[in-house]
Amino acid sequence: MSVANPFQRIGARSSGMAAWALLALMVPSTIYSLLYRSPFALHLLGYALLGMLTEAAYTWVLKRKMRLSNMGSGLTAALLAASVPTSMPFLPMLFAILIAVGLVKLPLAGAPLRLNAAMAGRLFLMLVYPSHIVNWGTPTADVISTATPQELYRSESFALEWPQLLFGRIEGTWEGLFLLVPGSPGETFPVLLLLLGMLLCWKGIMAWRTPLAFLLSFGIATALFGNSPLFDLCSAATIFSAVFIVSDPVSTPMSKGGKIACGIIIGVSNALIRNVTYYTEAIVYAVLIGNLCAPLLDRIAFEWQGRRLAKRMDSRAGVDGASSSV
Amino acid sequence: MLRRIKIDWADLPQIQPLETPFAKPERILPGLEEIDPGRFPDFLDEIGHVGMGGSGFQTSEKIRNCMGAHTLVINGIECEPGITIDQSVLMYESRWVQAGTKACAQAVGAQKIVIAAKDKGDQISQLKELYPDYEVVPFPDRYPAGAEKLILKKLTGTLPPPGTRPYQLGFLVQNAVSLRAIGRAIVDGIPVVERPLSLAMPSTDFYKNIIAPVGRPIRDVLAAYTLPYDARIHLIADSGLMMGHEVGLDDRIDKTTLSLVILERVPAERKERPCIRCGACNTACPLGLHPYTLVERIQKGKTTGAAFQAQMTECFLCGVCSAVCPSDIPLVQTLQEGKTCL
Repeated sequence: MSVANPFQRIGARSSGMAAWALLALMVPSTIYSLLYRSPFALHLLGYALLGMLTEAAYTWVLKRKMRLSNMGSGLTAALLAASVPTSMPFLPMLFAILIAVGLVKLPLAGAPLRLNAAMAGRLFLMLVYPSHIVNWGTPTADVISTATPQELYRSESFALEWPQLLFGRIEGTWEGLFLLVPGSPGETFPVLLLLLGMLLCWKGIMAWRTPLAFLLSFGIATALFGNSPLFDLCSAATIFSAVFIVSDPVSTPMSKGGKIACGIIIGVSNALIRNVTYYTEAIVYAVLIGNLCAPLLDRIAFEWQGRRLAKRMDSRAGVDGASSSV
Repeated sequence: MLRRIKIDWADLPQIQPLETPFAKPERILPGLEEIDPGRFPDFLDEIGHVGMGGSGFQTSEKIRNCMGAHTLVINGIECEPGITIDQSVLMYESRWVQAGTKACAQAVGAQKIVIAAKDKGDQISQLKELYPDYEVVPFPDRYPAGAEKLILKKLTGTLPPPGTRPYQLGFLVQNAVSLRAIGRAIVDGIPVVERPLSLAMPSTDFYKNIIAPVGRPIRDVLAAYTLPYDARIHLIADSGLMMGHEVGLDDRIDKTTLSLVILERVPAERKERPCIRCGACNTACPLGLHPYTLVERIQKGKTTGAAFQAQMTECFLCGVCSAVCPSDIPLVQTLQEGKTCL
């Protein structure tokens, strides 16, 4: 513990950030669970606890100092659980959490390149358990999570209107079959997620540049492909990814310009993969591409800022020849 | 980006006038009737004048370099959160500030005199009444709006190149308290032996602007107001909350002591955690530099690149990066070390 200037601190502290983000994640999940009488919120908390236990085991095995709160890993596990269907059995989720926390998040903690752990876990599930993640089950009254609107659009040519997606209710003939807008439970209620995102930004927990650049560039790129940007924005976890995945500070650039560039890369990649390939869940690849570019973008921003200043130094020195004194 | 730092205990409705709990100094010098530009720097050395806005730079050398400047800027902004000493001096000691300003302007040959003041409440209108001959330029109530570089940016339109001194642009920037000290010497014949400063103890709602003798132990200043200072739970922050340093009871009032703020020790302690790479430091820096990258390079020793050198020259160690860091990393201390790598 040391005391040094500045004696006045501003803004949020890092020790609470993951806990607040987890709380924000629980809000739509709790509403979902209460509305549709499902134990989803409890599943989320259970998986979060599993993530924290994984971090505890990791620090114990490596003989490092054990911490009381492992919220960061809890958040990773909860995000993973919120972005896969509820029909995913326990064993694949266990493996995914072990890999996400123990292989991607913690070992890369101080590394020059960091990847988004939740997306890495989801990539593992997509590759190793593809049937569980894509084929979301026959829609019956028991199954509460089904094919995403994207899947429906392609396979059944059933296009949902984006206002219905935004507010989470479907009117019409399909209402009897679906209890809510299809999708993973963590991705429902986009309006609520947007409001929560803005609240997190206002509290200083979330940086706004990357998610905003992501959403805007994604909307523009989708429009360029000829599809309605609002439909794509409100469906299949775009807002969820913007608020929770793309805003991850560890794997995205630090600099202002770098953040915006990374957001654009993720948004454009997402639009490209969705419109050119048959993949509907493109966000995983898009975010990982953005993460790979992050250190280079930071380096570029630093060098450009330095060179800009150095050029002004040289031009001034050339004018009057005075040497600079510190 | 300039930030508004709200300190509730310093947000008083009125700027406090200056109190003098200590004995007034006696006249030593004969005072100055005429200002001779050739001998003015020597006069400043005789009275022991240094930059009283925190720099401590020898003013005679500054005046010698500034001969031929076209504008004298009175820096009365005092952007450090929690301190109101410059504003108080501008408002209640205007006679001496004007005497000092006239002397400096005459010495360097400045045609135009500008007061840089904080735009808060009705301070600007009050200053316009007190100083009708000078141009009052309002600056936002944000930190670090009072930095010399940023004042010049507002007055000239562009940020001065890294390493530029104001005299190279034709400006003489002097702190309001420094000008008051010059005025005291000219009018009353008193050298620089007194220091106006803000004395505050937020936990007991104590806030005053006082004039204390230079060289007195801080113990005497606290005793003059019987402040309940306990070394175990309190710490004394000298010269502001952002750029100040900790002092003890046996340390003395300097010519550069802007304020003495008695804070509680426990909330001010910071435990360094690993960087979460949020980029708050870069967003907060008023000059758009990259503090954490600079700190990493300093720690690794890779300090010879052109980008590093340019950014390190530009940094004026305001401390906003350290203040916003969510992981409480002591960035400004490492950047201070980095200045030696230039």
